[in-house]
Amino acid sequence: MRKVLLAVLLVLGSLALAEGKLKAGWIYVGPIGDYGWTHAHDVGRREAEKAFPWLETVYVESVPEGQVGSVIDQLVRQGVKVIFATSFGYMDGVLDAAKRYPDVIFAHATGFKRAPNVATYMADFYQVYYLNGLMAGALTKTGKVGYVGAFPIPEVKRHINAFTLGVRAANPKAKVLVRWIYEWYNPAAAKEATEALIADGADVFAFTEDSPTVVQVAAEHRLPSFAHYSPMLKFAPDYVVSGQLVHWGVIYKDFLAKVYAGLYTPKNLEDVDYWWLLPQKAVELGADYGVPVNPKFVPALKAKVLTHPVFGKINVYDLVMKLHGLMQDVELAFDPFEGPIKDRKGVLRVPAGLRLTKHQLETMEWAVEGVVGPWPNEPK
Amino acid sequence: MLEDWLVTTLARGLAFAAPLLIAALGELVAERSGVINLGVEGMMILGALFGFIAADMSGNSWLGVLAAAGVGALAALLHAFFAVTLRANQYVSGLALTMVGLGLSGLWGKPFAGKPLAHPLSKLDLPGLSALPVLGPGLFSGQSPLVYLGLVFAVLLWVYLYHTKGGVTLRSVGENPAAADALGVNVYLVRYLAVVFGGAMAGVAGAYLSLAYRPTWTEGMTAGMGWIALAIVIFAAWDPLRAVLAAWLFGAFYHLAFRWQAYLAPEFLKMMPYAFTVLFLVLSAWAKSVRMSAPEALGRPYVRGERE
Repeated sequence: MRKVLLAVLLVLGSLALAEGKLKAGWIYVGPIGDYGWTHAHDVGRREAEKAFPWLETVYVESVPEGQVGSVIDQLVRQGVKVIFATSFGYMDGVLDAAKRYPDVIFAHATGFKRAPNVATYMADFYQVYYLNGLMAGALTKTGKVGYVGAFPIPEVKRHINAFTLGVRAANPKAKVLVRWIYEWYNPAAAKEATEALIADGADVFAFTEDSPTVVQVAAEHRLPSFAHYSPMLKFAPDYVVSGQLVHWGVIYKDFLAKVYAGLYTPKNLEDVDYWWLLPQKAVELGADYGVPVNPKFVPALKAKVLTHPVFGKINVYDLVMKLHGLMQDVELAFDPFEGPIKDRKGVLRVPAGLRLTKHQLETMEWAVEGVVGPWPNEPK
Repeated sequence: MLEDWLVTTLARGLAFAAPLLIAALGELVAERSGVINLGVEGMMILGALFGFIAADMSGNSWLGVLAAAGVGALAALLHAFFAVTLRANQYVSGLALTMVGLGLSGLWGKPFAGKPLAHPLSKLDLPGLSALPVLGPGLFSGQSPLVYLGLVFAVLLWVYLYHTKGGVTLRSVGENPAAADALGVNVYLVRYLAVVFGGAMAGVAGAYLSLAYRPTWTEGMTAGMGWIALAIVIFAAWDPLRAVLAAWLFGAFYHLAFRWQAYLAPEFLKMMPYAFTVLFLVLSAWAKSVRMSAPEALGRPYVRGERE
């Protein structure tokens, strides 16, 4: 159905804008060689460029947050009509620029402020993190799972919480030890944080950092880990269990097609907010594309059997696959943040039978039970 | 428990300290001759990239180390030309090289981003020594050979600086180049050699990062370590053995900061390596009345016949 819609839009689009190409620009916060966040956005950009002959793309790498305004000025001078700002920190810069250029369309990744010409978009991992957590909980032998986090902002906290809920579902006594490195990209810090977690007893790892460092360090110690953002199976084919993969291209293609067809204009983006998950195929469970679970770990996951409130006696591998299937349905028959959920201080955060709204997910500051370690801005 | 902490702190401190130490020793030599090289970061990252490329293409990581030294030396040659022959502002020349190094490495490194290295430098367990209690696993096992290279270099450099004629010559060029010149020393040559040596060491330090510490290539992977190395030269008061202490302290506190996140606020812990290293070194220097000042002629180009 979606494909038919897209095809119709493209036909309409090519009729509507027969005279020309659409120039779109991407502003990156890091280098495309980071093999993490920025790399994934660039892969998406290239997908869109390949798919649409009428699309011309440009990009600027490693733009610090304070300079986004001048980079936008440059892009607009070059005739760019659609600008994608791929970092949360660009938010205010983008909104200011949007007022200066009311005819240019902006889209801000991971943001929450919009305007008539500023849309927001996000491909979120929390469902995938829950599935990763189930596997981590099943695989840990010490009962301690390590997480190397970048910044303690709601996005990362949400992911750690979903991950921990999964870990505890498979292993109710397990703990998730968290260490923060306060940077999105710092391989040396990620390495030392991982070594510190190993020294503290963690034996399975997940992380938010834009490089495969944690995977490599864990593999050096022969410990399993989960890929983040980009396929990292090749860095440790015997130790990457699964991971979170992103397909920004899916969002970019949808957005650009709608701009081209005239559906999205610089006047009507106030309510355009992509919150795309598994059903929209914006994210994928896997250590690599098409590898949801590393075959080397399937026997270990099948060996761990749980008693699930809905499915009864089921092994972790089958449970992961079942829940994965449920979460790919737009109806979202299962959600990790379904109540009752208490935070680690005992406060009830999600009442029984309810789920969290998107706003609550986006502004999450609390920590679930099982998270051990510093948690800046934790509500009292 | 305590033994556990001691072992990991020793080991991680050493592993993190290695690139800092190697780069710092090289810069120490350059600065002792009177030339300051702010291009260490750029030379480190060029060394990391070319070391990776050479190791990847040849299958031999030691060739990578050699290539990295070569690239660092080449870049430093440029800096020496600007600083010594053209007598340009040394700070500007060094900074420019850092920026060019970072930019070029990013550009040329694109085809190699994310490529895993097939034959990284293998880790060593020193025979006999690694069986020692606490010190064995702490200092003598699981480290890259470049770690020991750095330590050996530090000792050799200390001997050279304080117990050989060559070392005296080097130091005199940095303290009073006019007097050295009057005594027949070729000030320009000494400075050129010192700076090129410094660059080669910076390159090797970078190679450690891409061939042993990580090992891959990602853009910007030095993440400011070159600047920390420059700071370590100052913390160490231009003394090679104190440089070992400074680098290890920095590495140890960097590691401990992560372990102590379980007990202390993470924001405070970020400044810990810097704060504690400076504190320890200032206290120890004060206690021993160690001379803490820089070589007299540091940063000033030498022109024969020119009055101060």
